[in-house]
Amino acid sequence: MHLEEVRKFDSLKPERVIDLREAICPHPLNVIRDTIRELGDDAVLLAISDHEPTALENAPRFCERRGYPYRVIEQEGLWNIFIQKIEKKEARLRVESVSKVFSARDGKVSALSDINLTIRDGEFVSIVGSSGCGKSTLLNLIAGLDKPTSGRILADGKRVEGPGADRVVVFQEGALFPWLTVVENVEFGLKLRRVAHKIRRELAYDYLKLVGLDDKFHNSYIHQLSGGMKQRVALARALVMEPSILLMDEPFAALDIQTRESLQEELQRIWVESHKTIIFVTHNVEEAVILGDRVLVFTKNPGRIKSEHDIEIARPRKPGNPEVFLNTKWITDEIREDGEDAEAGIREAAG
Amino acid sequence: MKRKIILLTAFYLLLFAIWEGVAALKLWPSYLFPSPLGVLSSLVAGFQDNSFTIGILVSMKRVLIGYGLSVAGGLLIGLAIGRVKVLDETVGTIVLGFQALPSICWLPIALLWFGLSESAIVLVVVLGSLFAVTIGVDSGVKNVPPIYLRAARTMGAGGFDLYTKVIIPAAMPSIISGLKQGWSFAWRALMAGELLYVSIGLGHLLTMGRELNDISQIIAVMIIIIVIGITVDRFVFTKLENRVRERWGLLNA
Repeated sequence: MHLEEVRKFDSLKPERVIDLREAICPHPLNVIRDTIRELGDDAVLLAISDHEPTALENAPRFCERRGYPYRVIEQEGLWNIFIQKIEKKEARLRVESVSKVFSARDGKVSALSDINLTIRDGEFVSIVGSSGCGKSTLLNLIAGLDKPTSGRILADGKRVEGPGADRVVVFQEGALFPWLTVVENVEFGLKLRRVAHKIRRELAYDYLKLVGLDDKFHNSYIHQLSGGMKQRVALARALVMEPSILLMDEPFAALDIQTRESLQEELQRIWVESHKTIIFVTHNVEEAVILGDRVLVFTKNPGRIKSEHDIEIARPRKPGNPEVFLNTKWITDEIREDGEDAEAGIREAAG
Repeated sequence: MKRKIILLTAFYLLLFAIWEGVAALKLWPSYLFPSPLGVLSSLVAGFQDNSFTIGILVSMKRVLIGYGLSVAGGLLIGLAIGRVKVLDETVGTIVLGFQALPSICWLPIALLWFGLSESAIVLVVVLGSLFAVTIGVDSGVKNVPPIYLRAARTMGAGGFDLYTKVIIPAAMPSIISGLKQGWSFAWRALMAGELLYVSIGLGHLLTMGRELNDISQIIAVMIIIIVIGITVDRFVFTKLENRVRERWGLLNA
């Protein structure tokens, strides 16, 4: 069915019709999402609602981000949202039944078990979980720094066989090169690509500006920078490569709260401007909520995705925001129910 | 700094005065205990008839060739055993073993292979310093933080680039101390080698001093050997080391 053919509500022949008035699930967007997932890639879905203003307001945004074309039809006082999933466009990243087993001294440890995940272009996905839940392992697999025991990972439709500049990682700390200046660090990847000196220097300056590093530190050595400035440089060094997916492995975990919050703000701004696809691993639930469109909660033994949350809060999101607080609390409670250590998340949200 | 200069000047003047005083007492014959002024005039005479200049040039040429070969070889072997486990477990043991062997012990073999020639002396210099350089490179390479390699690889570095742009620069502090130690071993090995047979270099000037019973010349040549050793150490290696430490922020640590 072609979208342009849709003139009137009556002419639609949807695969399924949901009346959100009958939906028992608390969040209408979850109903939409689950239905799309259930019907598969070529699903056509129609959602009707006349008393869910939030859903009507959010659904278009939701669809846009997921890459579903949509159309809002007004008829007899009803608002109808017509959604059709894109068929041709490849997902940025597809993780298919990936498992990872490490051999330890006392037998084998299942770090990841049957992970399935699709990340669309421009999505900001947070992965949260306590230490040892496999979240960093998954990031390493996506980066190509490690190989899955079974399953496969597709980045832009191509199977990940090793590391590559289309999937640059920003690490927690200590990954900048101490023998190079700030600018030379940012230029590093461009130099590998044999980009001419003048061009790469200009690009480096541009990206250092984008991440908000003061000009006077351009020629400093790494040890002369504070922790927050180092992470800004690390971010610039990754962004300058124009990766199709930016992988971030607890990049702000070692920073103090003020610095972390200002970097979270900066990262949101950069994401809104560039619409990069970002996967952000953290053990801090609040951080995951502030940054992600989607928060994936990991549990351990074996590492798997326990639940998935769509975060529909307007940006920029700040730590004091009540919606951020509530979402953080829900997710933290859920992790807690599971008997897991919620770690720093709720404490920092409260404090 | 100023205080240090005054202190040092005073100390050496005092030492010089005591030495001159003891020599003036003539407790020992002058061919056993030279006076500092005698040493000084020997130094001047040696440079005037060019014998010292030639000795220095010849020795420097040998040490530069030998040390240069050591640096090239040490870098290659060090990188190889630092990165390849099998080589480390096999070749690595040879390196450690030979490092325990004083360099002059290579002289008999060198003489058998090359006779009384330049090559024999250069070989002793090479074998005297090669293993120190190798060990410095090896330990530097082994201690490169894995995160540098991971970061570089996600930015698309691989193969040769990984060595020239990450591993070697990251290992540089340790490589430089290996080079520094290698230099001092090379210099010692050369002197030992030159002492043992006719060879024109500085070591040979020492032997000549002994044969002519000219203790002033011996001391003068010893001073030259010390000065060259210290100068290279201070003005090449310490400078290099400081530059690297400054970059890495190791000076204040």
